[in-house]
Amino acid sequence: MSDFLYKKNKKFYLSLLFPALLLYCAALAGPLLIGSLPYSFLNWNLIKGKKEFIGLGNYIKLFQDERFIHAVGFTIMLAVVSIILSNIVAFAVAFMLDRNVRGKGVIRSFFFIPNIISGVMVAFVWIFIFTNAIPNVGERLNLDYLVNISWFGNADMSMAAVVIVTTWQSTGFLMMLYVAGLQTIPRDVIEAAMLDGCVGLKKIFRIQLPLLMPTVTINLFVSIAGAFKSFDIPLSLTGGGPANSTQTIALNIYSDAFGAYKTGYASAKSMVLFLMVAVIAFIQLRITRKREVQM
Amino acid sequence: MKSQSNQGKVWMKSLLCFLAGFVFILPVLLIVMNAFKPNGEILTSFISLPKGLYLDNFAQAMETMNFWVVFKNTVFVTICTVLLAGSVSFLGAYGISHLRGKISDGFYILFVLGQIIPFHTVMIPISVMATKLHLNNTHLGLILFNSGFFTAFGIMTYVGFLKTVPRELEEAAAIDGAGPFRIMMQIVFPLVKSATVTLGILFFLWTWNDLLLPNILISDGNLRTITVNLYMFKSATNAQWNLLIAGLVVSMIPIIVIYIAGQKYITSGLTAGAVK
Repeated sequence: MSDFLYKKNKKFYLSLLFPALLLYCAALAGPLLIGSLPYSFLNWNLIKGKKEFIGLGNYIKLFQDERFIHAVGFTIMLAVVSIILSNIVAFAVAFMLDRNVRGKGVIRSFFFIPNIISGVMVAFVWIFIFTNAIPNVGERLNLDYLVNISWFGNADMSMAAVVIVTTWQSTGFLMMLYVAGLQTIPRDVIEAAMLDGCVGLKKIFRIQLPLLMPTVTINLFVSIAGAFKSFDIPLSLTGGGPANSTQTIALNIYSDAFGAYKTGYASAKSMVLFLMVAVIAFIQLRITRKREVQM
Repeated sequence: MKSQSNQGKVWMKSLLCFLAGFVFILPVLLIVMNAFKPNGEILTSFISLPKGLYLDNFAQAMETMNFWVVFKNTVFVTICTVLLAGSVSFLGAYGISHLRGKISDGFYILFVLGQIIPFHTVMIPISVMATKLHLNNTHLGLILFNSGFFTAFGIMTYVGFLKTVPRELEEAAAIDGAGPFRIMMQIVFPLVKSATVTLGILFFLWTWNDLLLPNILISDGNLRTITVNLYMFKSATNAQWNLLIAGLVVSMIPIIVIYIAGQKYITSGLTAGAVK
């Protein structure tokens, strides 16, 4: 019966894929294969309009481009630090909320709202916190240090600002995943451990955290891929400044492509970003596959 | 006696958690509070409660930022994108899960690979292409390209959920004389409702909050969407912080209202999608 149905409806099933393939080619496959890839071998300035084939010239150039190298370094730093911080905060919050707590829904919303508003809003909110609220608190408490921090004037503080704001935004989503993960740990396992005298920090590190490892790996990769594409927050918070110190890879590509119109060169950079994200995705796929087999 | 001390402990813990959450969301609360102050008060006493309710900020900000036009644009683009991306994903995923052998695997892998491509890798050719096809400065361009990006993820999610629908149901319906289209829409589609909800929410948030694609495609101020509009508004306010803060709050309200209304679906939907 089933085979008969399959033969009869095969054409119908194939036709269902048509709209998806059309959109896919128009938005992803086409632009990548007949856009960015060939562009990346051209010396092409969109305004001047001159196109010239230079082979791997753009790729060789970008490895000597200090701004790009710095952007890669900053993106990796931002990814590592914000991932560690937001995962720690998210786990701590999820852990606190896993127990008998009144008003869980409201408290969760407090942590989750930064995650659903746009990066632009998040960045603008924090601009006021850095430039108005923190100095204002400093004045009230007579702490000159707080008043005088130049958040957007010096490279180190600007980097810190981007890290803080990125962490603040990503914590809520990770917390939700940890909350869901904690709920999958059977109560009797925890009760048995507690009867055997495994309580407090020991309970967290010996029982709950190991059982949560699947969630932890998913969370890490969710945040790594996101961090490598970080754009909205650095653009709206610091604009990549001062002196390009907080420029991420995506921001660097954007400013080359739409600020300087170096279309060919920016395309080469965008291919490098693609390769980086693809490598991360493949590692992720292998790890999650392995885990599925084990379970 | 014991239960009473337990009760006390629960309240203590709840209070601590509430305080932690309050501190976390404090930046947003401070912004909302400052939206009711004139510019001078914002500059001198940011962390104090407003002296009066100064509502002029909102009217002026909404007028300067062309709020209602932009809001309508955003609603239109978002709804169309959610519907188009959602239905195309479902149809595609249904096709993949009902085809067999190499074609099915091949298409599935194709879409999985598409999900890896970062938007920043294709944004340059997309802006070139959109200009050639006269899709720049149109909402259609936003809807088509966004749907294209989302479809890869949508298909992956739907395929995962479609695996859980027993084939016997479809066979039984076929025996009763239902055609393939009717089986798909009336039998299977209602059974993957949770995937539809998850994807609907994600597509909604991604489109509503998108900065980069509308920034590249739309230059006409009357066609802008809310996120780009807010971004542009900052330079237009010329350090009139009261206007920027009010504009920021007004832009935040729709998304927070939607979050509160659909909280149950949003939180369970998002985690279902990610854990799957």
